[in-house]
Amino acid sequence: MVAATRGLDRGRTDQAEVDAAFRHDLARWVEVQRAAGLDFYSDGLLRWQDIFRPLVEAIGPKPHTLVRWFDTNTFFREPEFANFPSGDSNSPSPSGGWQGGGETSVPRPRVSTFPSPYMFSRAARTNLDRNRLMVELAESVLRPAIDAAVREGSELIHLEEPWLGYTGISRQDWAPLRDALEALHRNVGATLALHVYFGDAAPHLEQLRALPIDAIGVDLIETDVTALGRGWDKGLVAGVINGRQSLVESTNSIVEVAGHLADSVRPTALYLTSNSELSFLPTSVAEHKVQRLGEAASKVKQLVSV
Amino acid sequence: MSTQLDHKPLLTHEVGSLDKPGWRVKAYAGKPLSERDLEEARSWGEQLQVPDYPRLLELLRGRSFTKEQKAEIQRWSSLYALRLEESAGLDVVYDGEQQRTEMYDWAVTHANGFERRGSVRAFDNKYYSKAAVVGPISLAAPYHNAEFSYLVSVAGAELKVPVTGAYTIADWSFDERNALDTDLRESALDRRRQRKAARRDFVLQVARNLIRPNLQALIGLGARWIQVDEPGASTEPDELDLFVDSFNASVEGLDAMFSTHLCFSDYNLFFPAIERMSQCRQFAVGFANYDSRELGTSDDARPGYQVIKKFRELPYKPALGMGVLDIHTDFIESPELVRDRVLYAVKVFGDAARIHVTPDCGLRTRSWRVAYEKLHNMTAGVELARRALSL
Repeated sequence: MVAATRGLDRGRTDQAEVDAAFRHDLARWVEVQRAAGLDFYSDGLLRWQDIFRPLVEAIGPKPHTLVRWFDTNTFFREPEFANFPSGDSNSPSPSGGWQGGGETSVPRPRVSTFPSPYMFSRAARTNLDRNRLMVELAESVLRPAIDAAVREGSELIHLEEPWLGYTGISRQDWAPLRDALEALHRNVGATLALHVYFGDAAPHLEQLRALPIDAIGVDLIETDVTALGRGWDKGLVAGVINGRQSLVESTNSIVEVAGHLADSVRPTALYLTSNSELSFLPTSVAEHKVQRLGEAASKVKQLVSV
Repeated sequence: MSTQLDHKPLLTHEVGSLDKPGWRVKAYAGKPLSERDLEEARSWGEQLQVPDYPRLLELLRGRSFTKEQKAEIQRWSSLYALRLEESAGLDVVYDGEQQRTEMYDWAVTHANGFERRGSVRAFDNKYYSKAAVVGPISLAAPYHNAEFSYLVSVAGAELKVPVTGAYTIADWSFDERNALDTDLRESALDRRRQRKAARRDFVLQVARNLIRPNLQALIGLGARWIQVDEPGASTEPDELDLFVDSFNASVEGLDAMFSTHLCFSDYNLFFPAIERMSQCRQFAVGFANYDSRELGTSDDARPGYQVIKKFRELPYKPALGMGVLDIHTDFIESPELVRDRVLYAVKVFGDAARIHVTPDCGLRTRSWRVAYEKLHNMTAGVELARRALSL
């Protein structure tokens, strides 16, 4: 896809070749997940140029300004909102499906990834009230996309939330965040997880545990396991694979920390994943890490019962 | 000691890369050239009045190319890019990095201690290759000497050599020399401290053992202006001091004019750290990406340029290489828009001699047609500004 999309941009190939490359790479990605024995299948957001792009383009003009994605060498096009998105008839459908790229080939059960409404509202360029925007984005943009994803077999909805981890959140923003997540959680028919990464989740855990979500994701590269507390009434999405380092974790190191989390935190469900998206790694490294994640998860399942 | 070259007010220059023509890419990769490729070489050769360009066409009609012929085609590509920039009216030029693979890959390919790992997305459909450092870092061979020597022999305008900086090379690499974060049950704070210490050591090793000797080699060949490219400089906001230390370690005591290029960042982050960067005589910074496309010279009309006041206040009074072309879109800035951006900057600085005019960054993601039109309008806009300022 890298070569095909580059060729398309430069007028050296056509959309058919890009689509074929996409189908090939998606099939490979599915096979990597299958071979690793993962419990949920992702489409890898292979067609998404950034975490906001298809959602934003489905409801308005193409975004323009490039902005650095936190402390990475990756950039996103800043969503722009001159008006609130409510009432827009062009609500987006599920993760990339409207782009006609063959995502139907992704097995079930699926995990679908979307931006958290808090991050979405903070990363946008707007003069609007960001808390009201957050709730409206949840109701008018994210919820229709999530519903469509659930209809297509997603059983786990994974909301990316690096903004909270990296930048933090003001006390008065928690209530509208709760309202926004409630709009996503109500009768959704899938597990809703909010994954805080690129920062220490520990200072926010008390508030996070009170949110209307089924699971909390933490970045264990940045968060101390001892700060997670005990006896959770929610699931824990544990970021045990480092999505920003090319050295591949050992199976035993993952098993040991997972065992520790199961014994000490005692979440209602324990999900093992990477601390952030894997798009900061070359594909071969990412595939290797997924394989290792699957091996470790298999061992953990044999060893512990959560 | 970094030299200050004597330049005219509102000096214009390109920042670094240009796209590589299809004929250059395919010939080097050993792929067959199409009639379209040959026509591209012909039409640009004619438009830019590249001396003897029919010789290139003759060369490209060959079915396969020897190593020496590939090197010759790369030199042609350099000559075309140089002529494109000169033809657009730039005061200071280079070759759009036509002989390099890419700004990061070219450097690590000529360094000891690195291994390639693969490509990672930068934005949209643009990717960059990443390597991992796995051993001691050193310069395998000076890696800009050949292109610079060639360009000296053919350039009509002044040359400025773009060189990827130490911080960016380190930031875009993985460090596999130390296995950190192996036991996530250990204190996160302790692991973070270990990462930061390893990072500092890595960045400064790149500066001292790779960048500095390469700069010395260029200066030995007569390079007078070297631009240290640091698009990664503000990636980690708590490492701006490390970025400055790496720049100083790279250039301290060397006899040339040094500038640096920064882009696509919150530039407020650079202050006050760059107050210690007195060896830097010019900051080439991208602003157009953040600016309005409307005309005007008021603060409200120029939202992308509000931060330039901070550059004005730097105690060692460097020039500002002000980005006026958004390199991420095919939108062609009008001369009037360029003029107004320039006039606004001169008004803020109160000194046209400290304002240089540039694109936001290298234009390699744009076609040559778009790049040429943008650069041409940039120099036309600067002429309008000169007239308005009676320069």
